[in-house]
Amino acid sequence: MAMLAWIMMGLAVWHFTVFLPDHEWGGIVGAFLGALFGAVIFGFAINGFTVPGESTTHLLTALEAIPGALLGIGLMYFIGVRQERNAEAPPA
Amino acid sequence: MNNHRRNLFVLALVFGLLLASLAVIFTQPTKLGLDLKGGTSLVYQAKPTKQSKVTGDSINRAIEIMRARVDTLGVSEPEILRSGADQIVVNLPAVQNAAEAEKQVGTVAQLHFYDWETNVLGPNCKPDASNSAVTGGPNAGSAAALTHYNAVKLAASCPPKVSANATTSGSYYLVNSGTKPVTVTLASGKPKVYLPRSVIAGPEDTEAGLYTGFKADTQPAGTSVVKVPEGTIVVAGQASGKNGNGPPLGYFVLNDDPALKGTDITDPKQGFSNGATGSGEPNVTFSFTDKGQSIWQKTTRAIAQRGQEQQLPGTQASDAFQHFAIVLDNQLISVPHIDFTENPDGIDGSNGSEISGGFTIESAQRLANLLQTGALPIKLELISNSQVSATLGKQALHQGIIAGIIGFALVAIFLLIFYRVLGVIAVGALLIYTVYLFALLKLIPITLTLPGIAGLVLTIGVAADANIVIFERVKEEIRNGRSVRAGIATGYKKGIAAIIDANVVTIMVAFILFILATAGVKGFAFTLGVGTLTSLFTAVVATQAVLGTLGDSRIISSPSALGVTKTDKQRWRFDFMGYSKYFFAFSGVILAIGALSIGANGLNFGIDFKSGTQVKVALAQPATVQQVRDVVGTVAGINGADAKIQSEQSKDLGANAFSIQTPTLTPTQSTAVTKSLTAKFGVKQSNTTTIGPTFGQTVARGAIIAIIASLLVISAYIALRFEWKYAVPVLIALMHDLLITAGVYSLTGFEVTTSTVAALLTILGFSLYDTIIVFDRVRENVPRMPRAGFAQIVNRSMSEVFTRSLATSACTSIPILALLIFGGQTLRDFAFALLVGVISGAYSSIFIASPVLTRWKEREPMYVRRTARIAEAHGGVVPAFAEAREGEAPVDVPLPERKARTRLTSPDDPDRGVSKAEFDAMVADLHGDAPAVATDDPEPPKPKPDSSADALPEDVVMKDQPKKPKTPRNRKHGRSR
Repeated sequence: MAMLAWIMMGLAVWHFTVFLPDHEWGGIVGAFLGALFGAVIFGFAINGFTVPGESTTHLLTALEAIPGALLGIGLMYFIGVRQERNAEAPPA
Repeated sequence: MNNHRRNLFVLALVFGLLLASLAVIFTQPTKLGLDLKGGTSLVYQAKPTKQSKVTGDSINRAIEIMRARVDTLGVSEPEILRSGADQIVVNLPAVQNAAEAEKQVGTVAQLHFYDWETNVLGPNCKPDASNSAVTGGPNAGSAAALTHYNAVKLAASCPPKVSANATTSGSYYLVNSGTKPVTVTLASGKPKVYLPRSVIAGPEDTEAGLYTGFKADTQPAGTSVVKVPEGTIVVAGQASGKNGNGPPLGYFVLNDDPALKGTDITDPKQGFSNGATGSGEPNVTFSFTDKGQSIWQKTTRAIAQRGQEQQLPGTQASDAFQHFAIVLDNQLISVPHIDFTENPDGIDGSNGSEISGGFTIESAQRLANLLQTGALPIKLELISNSQVSATLGKQALHQGIIAGIIGFALVAIFLLIFYRVLGVIAVGALLIYTVYLFALLKLIPITLTLPGIAGLVLTIGVAADANIVIFERVKEEIRNGRSVRAGIATGYKKGIAAIIDANVVTIMVAFILFILATAGVKGFAFTLGVGTLTSLFTAVVATQAVLGTLGDSRIISSPSALGVTKTDKQRWRFDFMGYSKYFFAFSGVILAIGALSIGANGLNFGIDFKSGTQVKVALAQPATVQQVRDVVGTVAGINGADAKIQSEQSKDLGANAFSIQTPTLTPTQSTAVTKSLTAKFGVKQSNTTTIGPTFGQTVARGAIIAIIASLLVISAYIALRFEWKYAVPVLIALMHDLLITAGVYSLTGFEVTTSTVAALLTILGFSLYDTIIVFDRVRENVPRMPRAGFAQIVNRSMSEVFTRSLATSACTSIPILALLIFGGQTLRDFAFALLVGVISGAYSSIFIASPVLTRWKEREPMYVRRTARIAEAHGGVVPAFAEAREGEAPVDVPLPERKARTRLTSPDDPDRGVSKAEFDAMVADLHGDAPAVATDDPEPPKPKPDSSADALPEDVVMKDQPKKPKTPRNRKHGRSR
């Protein structure tokens, strides 16, 4: 159940990336992957690399995915901006 | 064959098939499922035995034996089907006693005869034929019995013995060896306490098999596993109670070396123990095979001689009688003695023998039948059973039919209002479709179940959708200046690709569902698949023939007759892509709320997933929840406090309806619950469902595999038909729809059942229907608008198909709404998931899939340059729609149309005269390849815009290589004109 909550929250956070300039690595699809994997990996990590079961999932479990999703999107954005800078830089 | 002849041929075919279908409908019976006519359904999971593994052959043999057993029950039209790799579904119409059916059908019936005294083991794991403390003496089979735990521990301490006759390769038990009670969590999530020194589970052939009933399939804390080696078995003593229904009278440990097997006997019959020494009690008589007769004589002789040897002088002979044990499925049936005074040389098997001891007529008949049909080659575990009363079934059928009729009527009204004459033709096509489908259901035959009815009603929407896609295209062509006849021809030609793409996906999803779903949902999948195929014929081929034939008539001569009003008024002018970010944010908020709800409330899983027993009853007399609980608590083995009992306000069950949920009950216990309630309050209708823990796991696993398989197949198809970049937004939109539906289920607390899973998979197909319609138009407009930005292309495409998308969604939603309102409880749950999914699917195809595609495609270098050029030309702003300003090349370039095989020799519409395009086509036909130039045209021909003006060589990716120009047709070979 926790996995479902993380994925849903990751997808929810991703929906707001349309307000960012399109600089993510892989564009909006890259941001999608970043949000989903970020949410799941972060949730997994802060629960001691276990997935809480149905009885141990609560409201906070869903919120745990938000920092992970933001980190994932941020990572994609960072990689994308760096690639663009490298592409624009004049050859040495 | 020219168009006219082809149309007439198709119409004749449609009419002929219609007559044949009517004949089938009136002559063939409709095969109703158990949920519509009442009865008992049992689902078994196969497990291997020492003699046989679970293979296709062993399951098929088991099915044959089960069929023979069912025949002895005298059930009409039973169904015994294989489901998946290791499950067997037994449907018994009109049978209400699940306990009796279960005993008759699913018992393995492995019968073995043991020489008792030489095989029953003492504390040192050795037989001691002369020690009555080990054998029980004259009371063999009841005296000297052990507790279950002690018997298992003793058996586990015995050394392994390899024997050709052994019935197992060793068996596993889960025990509580400690001094404190152990609480284990069952798969249903409920705790259960086991006392110290007790057996919790077993025997099982594998260690993993011990844990299937527990949470997470793992060994519960505080328990230990005990292995009984090969060559030793633990058998339960004879059952206590007057009719042999009670718990066993202790347990015994035996050397697993049976002298005779069930296969060594023939012609078992129920009889009575008559004669001089007979008691008149029911028994089972049988004969032996030649081999069995010889072994029988040899074994009984050895037993008799041993008795003679052990008789002490001065004692009665009966004190020294030795025994043999008859063991059926690890339980002692009887332990008769051999009277060596009467049979000093053993018993001659030529006259057969008998099994007696504590039988009722029914149990003796059952054993005789089981022995007659033979032992099952594999072990079968009952993982689900359900009973539906006939009245409830009829009521469900009635509600399904009402929902279907209302759904059909509403779709017909919708079509007539929006498409007028075309609507009349579409309604006719729908009627024909319904007749065809109903005939196919009877002809194949397909067992009609409640989910099947849902599939039927749903395909009415699918069939209407196909018409809407084409009719909207026809209207669009007419609005663009084509004549009615040309509009119809072009509309069908251009609309068919989108319909085929959308329907192929629906059929693929239905196929996956059929392969992986549980038995109840298979009917839905089959009906959906067959219905979609049939609708392709009636909605596309048949209506085209009708319209083609009516093409010259006055009925459809006016565009307004087809629902075409003022030109260009229908096109939407909305910046779909510009505003998409707000729709994205809206979806994000909905998903976040759903995620929080899932975290806080979870999903309300039905017993299909959790395991347990649910009894729904309509009582004749009013009762309170406490009164019902008290009655339920009187049934042996049920704690009334553990039962979750709710009073239900249900139209299906009436005023005094109750839903009783308990931990998994045996068929005997669930029958006892209904009987107790009948005795106290009277039961008008009842519906019992029992789901074992493994069934829920199978359903969940099947659902996950089905969803992943569907997504993979859909992605592959979209990538093949469109472009791989189109497949990713489709997947994201599908994920959006599934998760939104899950969120709504969590928020509303609706129960998640196997029907919900089927509905979720159907949502995949429907969500895609809308997306394909939009993407199909984008695909068409990309080469037509070589200077436009991708967002402009998508905006234009959306404006062209938005009405169509709304209409198809509405048309699909109408029958679902009818199911929701009129379909009864089961169909209502199903329809709710579908309705949420269809609405979410329509929304996501427009506001999620298309913007994701746009944002992704606009990163391609070609579109980056285009967008930059457009922005530069428009003061830094990219307009929502591509429009050519004065002096600029037109936005649209004409695409080379595929040359029609037919020759144009007359105008489309004789009353309207000949358009320039039609004139040019006629000239081209008459002059072969000569260019058609109208000499009186005052305007010089405009230069063709270069469609690759802003593309670099690497940007130009041709999906389809241009075909080589056809060589001019050799007119000498053509048909004489």
